[in-house]
Amino acid sequence: MRRFLERLLGLDRRWIFLFVLLSVAIPIIVPIGLPVTTTESTRKAFDFIEALKPGDTILISFDYGPSSAPENDPMAEAVMRQCALKKIRFIVIALYPLGGLNLANNAVAKVAFEFPDLKYGVDYVNLGYKDGASAVMRRMGDDIAGAFPTDQKGTPLARLPIMKGIASVRQVKLIFTVATGIIGEWWITQVHPQAGTPVIIGPTAVSAPKYYAFLNSGQLVGMLGGMKGAAEYEKLLRARYPEMARFYTSTHDFTATKGMDGQTVMHLIVLLFILLGNSAFLLSRRGMTR
Amino acid sequence: MSVDLGQLVLVLLFGLVPIIGIVLGLNSPGLRSRIPIWVAVFAGLIPILAMYVPKSFLSGPTGMSQRLDDWLIILAGFALLLGIVNVLQNNLRKIARKESGWFFSVVLLAGLFVTGGAGIYGALTKAGIGFNPDGSSTPFKYLTDWFFQPLQSTIFALLAFFMASAAFRAFRARNVEATILLIAAGLVMLGRVPILEFLAVPFPSLHSTAAGVSQAMGKLTEWIMDVPNGAAQSGIIIGAALGAASMAIRVILGIERGYLGLGRGE
Repeated sequence: MRRFLERLLGLDRRWIFLFVLLSVAIPIIVPIGLPVTTTESTRKAFDFIEALKPGDTILISFDYGPSSAPENDPMAEAVMRQCALKKIRFIVIALYPLGGLNLANNAVAKVAFEFPDLKYGVDYVNLGYKDGASAVMRRMGDDIAGAFPTDQKGTPLARLPIMKGIASVRQVKLIFTVATGIIGEWWITQVHPQAGTPVIIGPTAVSAPKYYAFLNSGQLVGMLGGMKGAAEYEKLLRARYPEMARFYTSTHDFTATKGMDGQTVMHLIVLLFILLGNSAFLLSRRGMTR
Repeated sequence: MSVDLGQLVLVLLFGLVPIIGIVLGLNSPGLRSRIPIWVAVFAGLIPILAMYVPKSFLSGPTGMSQRLDDWLIILAGFALLLGIVNVLQNNLRKIARKESGWFFSVVLLAGLFVTGGAGIYGALTKAGIGFNPDGSSTPFKYLTDWFFQPLQSTIFALLAFFMASAAFRAFRARNVEATILLIAAGLVMLGRVPILEFLAVPFPSLHSTAAGVSQAMGKLTEWIMDVPNGAAQSGIIIGAALGAASMAIRVILGIERGYLGLGRGE
């Protein structure tokens, strides 16, 4: 028994790596289709956007990079699809320096392709990237054109129909920040209190616990926490708009719902390893005290 | 000709005062270190005053506070430039001295110049750094799509392997606090994903039971995240905010001078 415990405690980490690889790769290649239950914070976010009227404008800020794209991309795409279906206009910006703009460009191009009726400059616009996140946010609180004089194509904002009547973030109905780090928090702590614009955040699962404090205080309307939050949003979207199923049942594209299969198996593997490690640790400690 | 009061004050505070300080500071080292403190005091006080004093020269659309915000965006750009200079200095020194891993510095600098060059090319040709008008990718976007993005994703994905290994080796119930943390983490991990439904896949008779238990676990997880976690996070955030505010006051009052990079006694 003692030898077994010692062998277990000294397990070669490459075995763990192999289990992790298989637990993530197999469900991605062969999806299981596990159910997703929705949480209140995601439902609040969904209902808030559902309650907006056609013609309203929201701001979507890409505050994440490729490192967390599998979690954040599905959130941004789901919200843009909802806007496209509800005829809600969206202004896209990127404040994350490490690839935020490229992810914004790709997501906007993807959704624009899926909804050919969307007109650039009328239904949506991409203002591009600006360095100095918190300074840009402060400027946008007074004057969006002060921070982004033109869109990404170089067209002055005054010439874009979507920007008519939208001088600052005070005039947009919602700020949706898809965030990986501190930038998402700045929208809540620096823009919301001064401009009063409601904020919804889509953080990575790692940073989601922090935002529960803001949800409880009412500074956040809703939250899509990590890949689970994105999968919940996809579920709500499919339930409300059955025509959206075509985007989420395709075997071609990655979706958060598919990602949750891998995450479920991965959680199970990690839990088993924690259980094994602790059992061996407690048994070996009991053996030592004897 | 109308005089913009805000602009005039800004020119005075951030233009004339530093210039006079530099000139006078040539013969007075003490004054030389005091001028940046005054610049910081003005830069810190103006946005605070703008919050409470509704005067157009201070908080209007072209007021002092708004102009400072514009300057901040420009300064952030220069900070990026400073970072590039720093990367260049450190890595060129490493290559010149043939320190261990110098080859990685060559790769890093090659990446910097090639990507930066593609960005500058996009700016000069007015193609930008996104898509070309015909829908194809610009050189910068090509590099980002096929090099930067996969590399960054790969590095981050490696974390999953190390986290699983660390969970096995280090996440132990060594004492009461660690045991509470372990139990809470286990419950949250169980409640966030449909593990029970996954385990019940081969047993159709257990599907509804698994779904019911999973739902209850989900509610328990939400409670843990909402109540104990939410309360602790509020405390941490309020504590950090008070710390940041007191640090800001120290900088504005000139008590905190570490950012000046001055040595002892200067």
